[in-house]
Amino acid sequence: MNWFGFILAQCLNALSQASILFFIACGLTLIFGIMRIVNFAHGVIFMLGAYVGYTANVVTGSFLVSLIVAPIVVGLVGMAFEWTLLRHLYGRRDGGAYLLLIFGLAVVLSEVIRLIWGVQPLGTGIPDFLRGIVIILDQPFPLYRLFLIGLGVAAAIAIWQFLERTRAGLLIRAVSQNSEMVHALGTDVDMVRTGVFGFGCALAALGGVLATPLVTAFLGMGTSVVIDAFVIVIIGGMGSFLGSIIGSVLVAFVQVMGAYYFQDLALAFMYLLMLFVLIIRPGGLLGKED
Amino acid sequence: MNWKIHFAITAAACTVLPFVVPGHSLTILVEALIFGLFAMSLDLLVGYCRLYSFGHAAAYGLGAYSYALILTHVPLPLPAGILLAVAVTTLIAVPIAWICTRSTGVSFAMLTLAFAQLGYAMLFRFRDVTGGSDGLVGIPRLAGPFGIDWFQSKFGYYYLVLGCLLGSYLLCRAIVHSPFGAVLAGIRENEAKTIALGYNTRAYKIATVVLAYGFGGLAGALYAAFAGFASPELFFWLTSGRVLIMVVVGGAGTLIGPILGGVSFVFLEHHLSQLTDLWPLIFGTVFIIFVMFAPQGIWGILTSRLLTKRDVANSDSGKEASGAAT
Amino acid sequence: MPLLECKGLVRRFGALVAVDDVDLTVEPGEIRAVIGPNGAGKSTVFNLITSVLKPSAGQVLFAGENITGMPVYEVAQKGIARTFQLCHVFPALSARENVRIAAQARDRRRWRFLGGGSVLERSAAVADEAIERMRLARFADVTAAMLSHGDQRLLEIAMAIAQKPRLLMLDEPTQGLSIEETGRAVQILKDMLAAGDLSVLLVEHDMEVVFKLADNITVLHRGRVIADGSPAAVRGNAEVRSAYLGGSE
Repeated sequence: MNWFGFILAQCLNALSQASILFFIACGLTLIFGIMRIVNFAHGVIFMLGAYVGYTANVVTGSFLVSLIVAPIVVGLVGMAFEWTLLRHLYGRRDGGAYLLLIFGLAVVLSEVIRLIWGVQPLGTGIPDFLRGIVIILDQPFPLYRLFLIGLGVAAAIAIWQFLERTRAGLLIRAVSQNSEMVHALGTDVDMVRTGVFGFGCALAALGGVLATPLVTAFLGMGTSVVIDAFVIVIIGGMGSFLGSIIGSVLVAFVQVMGAYYFQDLALAFMYLLMLFVLIIRPGGLLGKED
Repeated sequence: MNWKIHFAITAAACTVLPFVVPGHSLTILVEALIFGLFAMSLDLLVGYCRLYSFGHAAAYGLGAYSYALILTHVPLPLPAGILLAVAVTTLIAVPIAWICTRSTGVSFAMLTLAFAQLGYAMLFRFRDVTGGSDGLVGIPRLAGPFGIDWFQSKFGYYYLVLGCLLGSYLLCRAIVHSPFGAVLAGIRENEAKTIALGYNTRAYKIATVVLAYGFGGLAGALYAAFAGFASPELFFWLTSGRVLIMVVVGGAGTLIGPILGGVSFVFLEHHLSQLTDLWPLIFGTVFIIFVMFAPQGIWGILTSRLLTKRDVANSDSGKEASGAAT
Repeated sequence: MPLLECKGLVRRFGALVAVDDVDLTVEPGEIRAVIGPNGAGKSTVFNLITSVLKPSAGQVLFAGENITGMPVYEVAQKGIARTFQLCHVFPALSARENVRIAAQARDRRRWRFLGGGSVLERSAAVADEAIERMRLARFADVTAAMLSHGDQRLLEIAMAIAQKPRLLMLDEPTQGLSIEETGRAVQILKDMLAAGDLSVLLVEHDMEVVFKLADNITVLHRGRVIADGSPAAVRGNAEVRSAYLGGSE
C-alpha cells in the first residue's frame, strides 16, 4: 500500500473540504469585520445558494452558469435583507435585537426553501466535464475535488488582492477599523456595509453550489456548516481574512482525520471541537457584541 | 395587592376549563400549558438576563429523556419520576452553565446550540439506550405513593400540569423580585457596573442557567409522561427556535408573556397546520416583525398601555414595566 | 498604616507606558486628589487599583492586604467603591432601585432568591439614606435614564456611598455638573468626611474643587508622579506649573 500516496490523498481531500469551508468562513469573517455582527443565518444562506444553484443548473443545463447565477441572486437577497431590516437595528440599546433578527431570517429562509423546493434532497451530481479520476502517486483522486482546490486557491488570491490592492478593498478595510473616520471623510459607510454583507452572502452561496455535487442540496445542510464556520473564524480570529484561510484548512484536516478515525462520533465531532475552542478562547468575542 | 387577585382569578378560570372544554381539546390544552412552562423557563435567561439561548431545547429534551429512561428501568410512581428527571436535568445543567457563561452574546448562543446539537448527536450515538431516531415509546405513567392515581387520566393530568405551571410561576416571580432577581436586572442593564459594585456576576448567570434548565426540564418530563414517548426532535434546533420565538413575541421579561406565547403557539400551530403548510413561515415573519417593531412583545405592549407612571412607581421595585423589556 | 498603598505601579500597552512607577498612598480619613493633564494616566491608575486592568508591575495594598489583580468584584467587597468617568448607572431602573442594588452588594445574603425580604428592606433603608444625602429624594422613583446628566452623576455617587465603603474613589465626579451641583457635591463629601471613617481618592480637573477638598495632592504627568504634597506645596511647584501651563482647565 502506497502509504505516502494515501496521506497525500487524505490531504487533498482535506484541502478540497477546506475550499468549501473557506467560502463560507470568509464571508462570515468579512461581515463581522465590517459590521461587528456574526451572521448566524450564514448556514441557511449557504443552503439557499445550493438550491438556487440546482435550479439554475437544471434550467440552463450548465454548472458553470449556476456558479455565477446563484451567488449573484443570493448576494442580492442578502443586500435586500440588510438594507430593509438589519441596518435599522444598529442603534438599538439592546444589542440582542440583531441576533434575534438574524435568527428570524434563518427560520424564514429555511421555510421558504422548504416550500419552494420541497423536502427531498436535490442534486444533479458532478458535472460531466469535471467527472473523472486523476491518478496521483498511484492513488485515484476525483477531478472534481482538484477543481475545488484550484477554485479555492484562486478565489483566496483574488479576494486577497482585492482587499489589498483595490480602492474598494481599502475602503472595506478602513471601515472595518474605523467606520466613523471613513464616514467623516465622505464615504457612504452604509453602502459599504450593504455591499459587504451581500458579498459575504454571495461567497457562502458559491460554497453551496460547489458542495451540491458532493452532498446534494438538502434541508438542514446549513446547520452543521454554520457551526463549522463559526469555529473557523474563532480559531482564525474574527474579522481576519487570513485567519479564515488558516482556520478552514485546520478545521478541514480535523474533520477528515476525525471522520476516518472516529467514525462513530462524526456527528458529535464538530460540536466537541467548537466547545473546546470556545472554552479555550471565549475572550475572542467577549465585549464585541453586547 | 393587584397581581394576587389577577392570579387567583386566572387560576380559578383554568381550574374550571376542563369542564367546559371538549375532550379532544383537553389534550392540546395540556400540551399548551407544558409549552407555556417551557417558554417561561427560557424567559429567565432571555428576558431577565438578556442571555440569548439558541439551545434551550436541551433542557426540554433532557427532562423528557431522563424521565423516559428512568421509567423504562425503574417503575417509579409518576411524581417521583418527574422529580428525579428534574434533578438529573438540573445536575447536568451545571457544567453546561459553567461552560456557556464563559462567553457572552453570540458565543453564548452558539455554545448553547452546540450543547443541544451534542445532545441530539448523542441520542443517535447511543441508540441502543435511547432508541435513536425512533425514540423511546410506551413510557408509563405509574400511580403515585399511597395509591394516588388521579393523574393517570387525561383529566387528572391536566391538573397536575396546571399545578406545576402555577407553582413554577409563583416560584419564578418570587425569584425575580428577590435580591437575586435584582442582581439579574443589574446584569441586564449594565454588567460592568454590577461587577464593580461587588457582585460575582458569573455565579449569578450560572445559577440562572441552571434554574432555567430546571424549569425547562420539568416541562420536558411532564411532556414525556403525558405523551408516553420521547423523540430526538425534542433536542433539535427548531424546538429551541420555537420557544425563543414564543418568548420574544409573548413578551420577554414578563414571565406571563412567554406563558401566553407558549400556550397560544400550541393552539395556533394546531389549527393553522390543518389549514396551511405556510404556518412556520407565518410564525417566522411575525417573529421578525416583533423583533423590528415591537421588541417588548404582546404582553409588554399590553402592560405598558395599562400601567401609568404612578403605577410604575408604586409597584415593587418598578421592575416589571420599566426594567423588564428586551 | 495607610488605607491604600500603591507601590511601583506600572502599566504598559504595547510600547506605550501609561503608568510608570507610580507610588500613591491614602491614609485613613484623608482626601487625596490625583490631578494631571489629559493622558497623564489618572484613570488608568484607578483601573489598576480596582483590578479592571492588571498591572504590568507593582502592587496594590488595601489595609495591609495585597489586592493586586484580585477579581474586580472582590476588590469592591473589600470596601472600595468607585465611580466612572463615563457615568455608569442602570438606565431602565428607578433611581432608588439603582442605589438599592448598590447597597445590597454588601449584604451577606445578597444572593437570596427566596425569602430575601429582610435583605430588600435593609438595602432599601440604606438606599433611601444615601439618596437623602445627595438631595435626590424627589427623583427617587424616576427612571435613571430620564435624569439629567448632572443628576445621573450625583446618582452614581449616591450608589457609591450606599456601598458604605472605606475608600471612595471618584473619577471626575463633577464633570458636566453645574456650579450649583458641584457645590452641592463638595458640601456633601465634606459632611461625610467629617462624620468619619471614610477616605476619598479623587481624580479631578476642576482645580477649585481640588483645592477646596483635598488634604493632599498627587500630580501625574505622562504616567509618572511629578509632585506629591499639600495643596500649597503643589501650587507652588514649578514643574507642575509647566506641565499644566498654569491654572485650572
